[in-house]
Amino acid sequence: MPLKGKVGESIPRVDAMDKVLGKALFAADFRMEGLFHMKVLRSDRPHARIRKINTERAARMEGVVRIFTYKDIPGKNLIGIINKDQTVLAEERVRFVGDAVALVVAHSEREAERALGKIQVEYEDLHPIFDPEKSLDSTTLIHEKGNLLYQRDIVRGDVEKGFSDADLSIETIYSTSMLEHTYLEPDAGVAWIDEKGRITVYASTQNPHYDHREIVTSLGIDPSKVRVIQATTGGGFGSKLDITVQCFLALAVYYLRRPIRLVYTREEAYLATAKRHPLIMKYKTGVRQDGKIVAMYVDILGDTGAYGSYGIAVAGRAAVHATGPYHVPHVKVRARMAYTNRPFCGAMRGFGVPQVAFAHESQMDLVAEELGMDPFDIRLLNAFEPGSETATGQILKDSVGIKDCLQRVQEHSKKIKEEKASPGRLSGRGIAAMWYGIGNTGMKNPASARAELNHQGMFALFTGAAEIGQGSDTVLCQIAASEMGIGVEDIRLIRGDTAITPDAGATSASRQTYISGNAVRKAAARLRVMVLENASEFLHVPVKELSIEDALIKSIRDGKTLTTLEEVAARCKHEGKKLIGEGFFDPPTSTLNPETGQGIPYATYAFACHMVDVRVDPTTGEVDVLRVVAAHDVGKAINPTNVVGQIASGVAMGIGQALMEEFAPGQTGSMREYMIPTVKDVPVIIPIIVESPEHTGPFGAKGVGEPALIPTAPAIINAMNRALGVKIVNLPAKLERVMKMVLKGSGAVG
Amino acid sequence: MKKRIEVTVNSEKYELAIETHKLLLEFLRDDLGLTGTKESCGMGECGACTVLLDGKAVNSCLILAVDADRKVITTIEGLAKEQNLDPLQESFIKMGAIQCGFCTSGMIMSAKALLNENPNPDISEIKKALAGNICRCTGYKKIIKAVRMVADSQKTR
Repeated sequence: MPLKGKVGESIPRVDAMDKVLGKALFAADFRMEGLFHMKVLRSDRPHARIRKINTERAARMEGVVRIFTYKDIPGKNLIGIINKDQTVLAEERVRFVGDAVALVVAHSEREAERALGKIQVEYEDLHPIFDPEKSLDSTTLIHEKGNLLYQRDIVRGDVEKGFSDADLSIETIYSTSMLEHTYLEPDAGVAWIDEKGRITVYASTQNPHYDHREIVTSLGIDPSKVRVIQATTGGGFGSKLDITVQCFLALAVYYLRRPIRLVYTREEAYLATAKRHPLIMKYKTGVRQDGKIVAMYVDILGDTGAYGSYGIAVAGRAAVHATGPYHVPHVKVRARMAYTNRPFCGAMRGFGVPQVAFAHESQMDLVAEELGMDPFDIRLLNAFEPGSETATGQILKDSVGIKDCLQRVQEHSKKIKEEKASPGRLSGRGIAAMWYGIGNTGMKNPASARAELNHQGMFALFTGAAEIGQGSDTVLCQIAASEMGIGVEDIRLIRGDTAITPDAGATSASRQTYISGNAVRKAAARLRVMVLENASEFLHVPVKELSIEDALIKSIRDGKTLTTLEEVAARCKHEGKKLIGEGFFDPPTSTLNPETGQGIPYATYAFACHMVDVRVDPTTGEVDVLRVVAAHDVGKAINPTNVVGQIASGVAMGIGQALMEEFAPGQTGSMREYMIPTVKDVPVIIPIIVESPEHTGPFGAKGVGEPALIPTAPAIINAMNRALGVKIVNLPAKLERVMKMVLKGSGAVG
Repeated sequence: MKKRIEVTVNSEKYELAIETHKLLLEFLRDDLGLTGTKESCGMGECGACTVLLDGKAVNSCLILAVDADRKVITTIEGLAKEQNLDPLQESFIKMGAIQCGFCTSGMIMSAKALLNENPNPDISEIKKALAGNICRCTGYKKIIKAVRMVADSQKTR
C-alpha cells in the first residue's frame, strides 16, 4: 500500500490526536515538583517617571520567595524584535498602562497576587500622549530618539504628472481600530534548570530562537546556558512573536534555580500584549476614463503605542502593499509610525495589509462606481500579471494568480443569484482583492532544517518552526515525506527546541510553508542522496538507477525492491557513518532604497479575491454576512484541507475586523468587552484553491495564513456600501455606526 | 474552609475535603491533573473549560467544586474508552476541525452534550449548542461538519 502524506494529500494533522485527547501539553498544563509561581506588577499610569520602588513590605508577605525589579537584571534590560526600545522591567519610566515593573515569586499564585498589592511604586506623572498626530508635534518625548518610530517612502514614476493625466481622481481618508488577537490560550510558560544545567523555558511562542536570544542578552550569559522549548501553542496571530513571559521566568530561574510558572490571566494578556496597529490612511487615486489607474498617492500614519515591536515591519509592509494587486505607473507613498502612550502594537495577521486593503479596495469600488464600471472589470483591467512592475520596481515573474482568482470568483458571481432586497431587509454584494508578500520585507529571513536517518533506520525531522495551530508540523512532514519517498507516519518530528533544532525564524509573515518548507525539502533531498549513495556502494547499482519509494530502496528500471532504509542505516552504523541532511533557504530579496523604496521586498506573493453577500436590517443595524466565495492563489496546496481551514479561519476573523472588533484601552479589559465572531456569525464559505506554481517554492507552494484574512473585511464593507448606499471609511462598522449611517442616508460615515 | 464532597470524574469516584472557594476548573486541573480542560477567559465567555456535569455542558470556571458534590463529571480525558476514541474525537480529526487545539476540549464536550440530548441535530441546533464556545482558528466550518458527521453516522447505524 502506498504510504500516506504526499504533497497535495489532505491527511489529518499530525498533532490532532494529542489535541483531541486533551493530552497536548500547553505551557499552563506543565506540572513539576516544587513549582514556584510568578505574578507581574504592571504600571497603572500611561506615562510616568518612577521615583522609587519599595518592595520591603511585599517581600515579607506570607509565601513570598523573592521580588525582582530592573536592578536584578544582570544583562541588558532592553528587548525588541526589530528595534530595541522596550525594557524587560521598567527602570526610570513607564510608557503605558501595563508596562511591567516588578515580579513576585511565591509558593502559590494567590500569595504572589496578594504580594503584588504591597509593592509601593512612587510615580511622577508625565504628560501622556494618546494620538499619533499629536505625538509627532509634541515636545514630550516618549523615547529619547523622538516620537517618530519609522518612516517608509515609496516613489515610482512622477505622481504629479500621473494625476495630470487622470480623468478622475478620488480622495478619501480611512481609519481602522486597535485590535486584540484573542488567541484562545493566554500567554504562559514554565522554566527550570535542565539536566545539563541550562535555564530552560517552556513557553507559548511563535519564535523560540528569538526568545532564546533575548533571554541570553538580558541575562548576559553564554547562549549554551539557555534553552527555549516551544510548548504546544494555542494560537498567536502575531502577538506571541513578542517576548511575554520568557525573560521574566528566565530571570527568576537564574537566581532561584527552581522551577517557576507564569500564566497570564485573560485580563493580563489583554493589558500587556501587542495589539493591531490602528492606521489613518489618506488615499488619492487617479484614473483614466477607460478605468486604467494612472496615479496613486497614499499617506499612512500608524499608532505603534508605547513600543516599536513590529511597528517598522507594519509600516514597511503597509507601504509596499498600498497600491493593492494593481499596476500603477505613478506612485507616492509615505507610511509613518508614531509612538504614543497607548498599548504597544505589533504583528497581527497581515502586518498592516488588512488595513491598507480596506482602503485600496474601497477606492477601487468608488472609482468603478464613478466610471460606471463593473467591480470585477476594473480590477481585472488593472490587476498584476506576469511581467508587471510593482510600486517598488519589482518585475513579477511567475505565480501571479490574481487574475485567476478574480475570474474564478466572477464565475461564481454569475452562478449565485444575488440576494434580493425586501421590505426591512437591504442586501448587497461586494468583492475585494489582495496581494501579500511571503516572508519579511526586504531583508534576510532564512530558515534551516535537518533530516536524519538514525542507525535503526528511523527518519527524524528537526525544525525550529513554531506550530501555533496553522499546521506547519503537518505541512513540513508532508514535504519531507514526499522528498524522501516515505510516509508521514514514518517521520519523527522534533520541533522548536533551541538546544537541538535549527533556527527556522519566526512563524509569521505566512513564511513557514515557503521558507521552512524549502529548507526541509533541501534537507530531505540531501539525506535521500546520501542514503542512495550508500545503498549504491553495497548494491553495486549506480545511484541514478535507484529511488526511494514507500520507504524502500527500489530499482528505477524494474521497480523491484533492492534493500531497505534499515539495511542502509545498519551498514552506515557499522562503518561509523552518519546520515544527516541539512537544508537552508533564504528568499531572494533586496533591501529597499531608503528614499524611494525601490527594490525587491519579497521573493513571491500570494493573491486572493473574496466575494461577500450581506443582508442588513435597517431597523436594527444588524449585518448578516450570508456568503463568502474565497479564491486564493497559494502556489500549491500542500494539504488542501489545511488551506481550506485557513480560509475559513480568515473569513471568521475578517468578519470580526469588519463588524465587531475594537480594542479601547482602559475600557476593553476582558473577553466580555471584546466581541469576536462565534459559530453563529460564520456564513456559507465557498473556498477556491488556485494553484499558480511558484518556481522557488517547495513543490510550487507559497503561503495562505494571512492572505485568508485580508480581503474579507474590505469585501464585507463594499457589500454594505452597496446595500446601504453609503461610504464606510472607519472600521469596524459596528451596529451603532451602521444605524447612524442608515439614519443619515448616504455620505462618508463611520 | 474545607468541605467534604463525593464526586465521580471520568467513572472514578473521589471522596475528599475541598476548599469551598475552589473552582471546579481548578479542582480538575490542579488536584486531579486533568489538564485537558482549559482556562481561557475565566468568566464563562469562551467555553474552553466546558465539561459535562450530569451529562450537561457547563463552564467549569463558573462552578465551585463543592457544588459538584454527588454529581458525575466527564472531561475530555474521559471520552475515549481504552483504545477507542469517541466518535466526536474521530470526526474532529478526520474533518480537520482542530487547529491550535486550545478550544478543542471544550468544543467537543459541548458537542457531546448536544448529541446526548439530540442525536440528530440540524445545523442551527449545532450552532446554538456551540455558540458559547469560541474558536479563533478554524472559522468553525469544519467543527460544524465534524458534529454533523457523527450525527449522520449514528443515524445510519
